[in-house]
Amino acid sequence: MNFSGWIFLSVSWLFIITLMFFCAIKIFKGGKK
Amino acid sequence: MAKTRQSWGSKLGIILAVAGSAVGLGNFLRFPVQAAQNGGGAFMIPYFVSFLLLGIPLMWIEWTLGRFGGGFEHGTGPGIFHSMWKKNRFIKYFGVIGIFGPIVIFIYYTYIESWLLGYTFFSLTGKYSSATTPEAMKSFLTGYQGLVKNEYFGGLGTAYTFFLITFILNITVVYYGIKGGIEKLCNWAMPVLFVCGTLLAIMVLTLGTPDITKPDWNLKNGLGFLWNPDFSKLLSGKVWMAAAGQIFFTLSVGIGVILTYASYLKKQDDVVLSGLTAATTNEFAEVILGGSIVIPAAFIFFGPENIIPIAQSGSFNLGFVTMPLIFGKIPFGIIFATLWFLLLFLAGITSSVSLAQPAVAFLEDEFNLARSESVGIFAVVCFVLCQPAIFFLGNGVVDELDFWGGTFCLVLFGTIEAILFSWVFGIDKAWDEMHIGADIKIPKFYKFIIKYITPLFLILILVFWFVQEGMPVILMKNVTAENLNFVILTRILLAGLFLLIAFLVKIAWNRKREVIR
Repeated sequence: MNFSGWIFLSVSWLFIITLMFFCAIKIFKGGKK
Repeated sequence: MAKTRQSWGSKLGIILAVAGSAVGLGNFLRFPVQAAQNGGGAFMIPYFVSFLLLGIPLMWIEWTLGRFGGGFEHGTGPGIFHSMWKKNRFIKYFGVIGIFGPIVIFIYYTYIESWLLGYTFFSLTGKYSSATTPEAMKSFLTGYQGLVKNEYFGGLGTAYTFFLITFILNITVVYYGIKGGIEKLCNWAMPVLFVCGTLLAIMVLTLGTPDITKPDWNLKNGLGFLWNPDFSKLLSGKVWMAAAGQIFFTLSVGIGVILTYASYLKKQDDVVLSGLTAATTNEFAEVILGGSIVIPAAFIFFGPENIIPIAQSGSFNLGFVTMPLIFGKIPFGIIFATLWFLLLFLAGITSSVSLAQPAVAFLEDEFNLARSESVGIFAVVCFVLCQPAIFFLGNGVVDELDFWGGTFCLVLFGTIEAILFSWVFGIDKAWDEMHIGADIKIPKFYKFIIKYITPLFLILILVFWFVQEGMPVILMKNVTAENLNFVILTRILLAGLFLLIAFLVKIAWNRKREVIR
């Protein structure tokens, strides 16, 4: 795999994992309510 | 006496149920092939653009429409559309697609799901362990499907037994209702699915170079086949449409099941964060797990010369032929093969129960039938309708069902929903409705996206798809002479089913009018 491939893999994974963490934190905190 | 509508037991319950509906075979078999064939890493650009402009907005639209309709005791398209546009007498008939589509998919999906249960059993018992070549594994599959009689199977008996078990399992889950059946199933099946997927991904990602005589057949090159970007592909409209189509199909939007699931929410329940979480969970299963298993493993064990034909051989070939052969070559292959088919079976059953629910909800909500009666009617009708898919599998029946139920209806229904939501219901009212009880606030620019970009994007997909793929199928250009009658009969059957549901909608509304009088 070339350098660009690693970049695309890392950014894609990071994007999804960040979104998952964001959602999980909001759910477990019960949001703003 | 009016019944009390069912409801979800917890927020996590509905999120897992919607994610379970979305996570299916396509996450593990269709996505990696689409990505590898359409620009590798570069495919992720149109893919994530579609996720943000099409997938997430449609998720929010369906969750909001469902919860809105549930407030009027409607859990399916006809009632929900009617609640949104009361002045229009015909809009409820467009909602029929949201019941018809799931039934049609359920008819063939349950049968395919039963193969996965069968293969889970065969993996444990080592029934296909003697099939060590692609030809032998294909022969095992066609024998199982009853398409040929061979040394593995003498007929359809085994496949039919697993179908009966799968069908009864589905009906039992739906019979126990939203909280006692579907939510309970998804609460344990989804974590198990993720554990299976993670173990398989770890297994593939630690393979390295298993055969030192073939140093190029390694994990790094396998990942490279999937992820190395080909930026020239970004200039192709077809690649953008492939990405949009993948997002559309993977999230289970446009089917009608999310409408039904969300209709069991309470008025003050959040839909924004829940919809986003369900969509993200699906993406985790698709990009992180789905992208780490099939294609890298196939590259490592079949090499760069064979990976392209394998990727082009279709989902069934990948799942039922290539993967078992790979498991035959690794230590603890029996365990990993069992995990693989169990993973796909769980992905399948959490989707198929969601496909059953709209029809059951329609009978419960619009005819005030008890759940047992609704499930009983659904079970009998679907059991009969499943038979052509089983016995005429080789005659193009499943392809025809998949085209109308699994493709055409989805794109059409999604487009209708998006237009209805933003333009008929009105984006300001819709925006307020979305934010009732919301745990997070949607960024303001999404108002513009939901009103203009998402419907336009959908219309573009609809037109592009119709011209590219729809027309040849509608005109039966690829149907062989021997399958022609089967395809025509399937279309007559589907037209009859659609008209029957539309007629039931008419009866239900006539009865309601009489009650009001």
